[in-house]
Amino acid sequence: MKPKHLILIFSILILAMTISACTGGATIASSWPGVTVDSDTAYVANNRHVYAVNLSNGTQKWRFPAEPDNRNSFYAAPARSPDNQLIVGGYNNTLYSLNPTNGIENWNFPDATNRYIATPLVEQSGIYAPAADENLYALDLAGKIRWELATPGESWAAPVTDESCSCLYLTSLDHRVYAVDPTNGTQIWESESLGGSIVGSPAHDPRGVLYVGTFGNEVIALSTNDGKVIWRAPTEDWVWSGPTLTGDRLYVGDLTGNLYAFNAGDGSEIWQVTADKLDGKIVGSPLVIDEDIYVGTESGKLFNLDTSGNIKWTQTLNGKLYTSPTAAGDLILVASTQPDELLTAFTRQGEKQWTFNPEPKKEE
Amino acid sequence: MWNTLILDPMVNSLLWIYDLLANNFGLAIIAFTIIVRLITYPLTAQQMKSTQKMQEMQKSKKWQEIQKKYKDDREKLSQEQMKLYREMGINPFGSCLPTIIQFPIIIGLYQAVVRALAVTPMQLLELSSHIYPLIPAAVLIPLNNYFLWLDLSQPEKDYGIPIAGFTIPILAILVVVSTYLQSKLMTPPTTGGEQGASMTKAMNLYMPLFMGYLAWSFPSGLALYFVTSNLVGILQYAIMGKLNWRNLLPIRTPSK
Repeated sequence: MKPKHLILIFSILILAMTISACTGGATIASSWPGVTVDSDTAYVANNRHVYAVNLSNGTQKWRFPAEPDNRNSFYAAPARSPDNQLIVGGYNNTLYSLNPTNGIENWNFPDATNRYIATPLVEQSGIYAPAADENLYALDLAGKIRWELATPGESWAAPVTDESCSCLYLTSLDHRVYAVDPTNGTQIWESESLGGSIVGSPAHDPRGVLYVGTFGNEVIALSTNDGKVIWRAPTEDWVWSGPTLTGDRLYVGDLTGNLYAFNAGDGSEIWQVTADKLDGKIVGSPLVIDEDIYVGTESGKLFNLDTSGNIKWTQTLNGKLYTSPTAAGDLILVASTQPDELLTAFTRQGEKQWTFNPEPKKEE
Repeated sequence: MWNTLILDPMVNSLLWIYDLLANNFGLAIIAFTIIVRLITYPLTAQQMKSTQKMQEMQKSKKWQEIQKKYKDDREKLSQEQMKLYREMGINPFGSCLPTIIQFPIIIGLYQAVVRALAVTPMQLLELSSHIYPLIPAAVLIPLNNYFLWLDLSQPEKDYGIPIAGFTIPILAILVVVSTYLQSKLMTPPTTGGEQGASMTKAMNLYMPLFMGYLAWSFPSGLALYFVTSNLVGILQYAIMGKLNWRNLLPIRTPSK
């Protein structure tokens, strides 16, 4: 080959690399961490790995896979099964069952044709995993397919069960909520178009109501009998995660950064903490424990508020807090988009207990 | 700056066109590409004019004489060439500057397509910060990313059409063919000597393959842009009567 041709090919390769660099490519995270806890361990799905973190001191117990697979990422929060499995979906279109003690793979289900963004719902009756290929996959606990249901849109949120009617409820980016029979995957009802995508899981009230937040700047209450709208409450901006239901109140944030408390009975607004006080988008659902509300914002701040909306304390982390805070015993766990502070544990009074950094610097 | 001046207007224009064109993102990309090509038409025309002037100058007696006279003194040769450029009122960068200006547009368009399709939570969250209030985003999202057999959000390498056990990347092939046609039809007869001809030939071969690789490995929305842009480019040159059909024929032009 002539040297000039080699120079030309080299230039084209440089151009290809420039384009890849300019366009962002694969190094940018496609989502944010997903967190689940059990009695002594937090399981964090983030980027190339699922990590098991010791709740007592924030050290790593194991990670899966041991060596990163550059074609795969994990962001959906893993789910524990009643028979001691950890179920987690990957961006490689595969659902994995892991041993929660050591992170060893039990089985995998590779039949989806697009990634798993949603956390699967795992019950005694089986696993219900929505994939971005617009299918809801129902598996038994051994990973064998029971049925699959094609849905008109993608679902990015874990389904919710309702034992009173043997239903599961699935929210969809196609602006609707679906009720499905978990025994055979037949659709029981679908809601009307709710005016915007629904990205979060619904909050379920056993008294027969589902609450969802939508990109149509609303929180909407639906009847679990037929999916009909009971009430609508306006927000200033898109609502990303589902509302948190506690007693007769719903707590929810929007992407402008407002936090709302609504009356679950009629959707009337009880109070609102405005974005200027909370300083950043609210993406995750608020965590409510007793009389305390914990909410994270894009600015990296974790707020503790009382149920009247008064800020009690604030802690600031370096990354963005898109993941809902999680309760683990007396600790509040906060996952950040900053890799070196992936998971931080605070006491309920706001004292930092430990930070989990998956790749600590080696001591020289 | 980049977001405000390039990316956000592109994303919002795409969404606006998508809304107008019955929520068909494939048609939106095609329409958007045509609009971008029309807006950048003055640059294309200027590039063509400069190239033509350069071609004419390179054919001139004076140019040929300089080449011969200073063939062993490169420094002097370039000084004389610059002198000649000045005399004839030619900007030597006049033909490549418009191309360089179009480069950020291509990058911006790629980012706009990926951002508008928003197939991951982070992309969708990013998108939410960049939509103008007059765009009815809540109604439009999620965008319908299917067009003909294409999933515009996915690279064709992940879903190409299987024929007789092989996955055929039809869109990537269309990109290769249309890029090849465009480069052949729009390349004026080379006058830069054997070396120049050899470089042009190599470029005409490698560039389509490179574009085909991009089309195969990047989301198909970008590949659709490539095909449309190539076809519109050919059409623009055809309307201006500048297509060089002889380049397609397997006949060697006798050297002068």
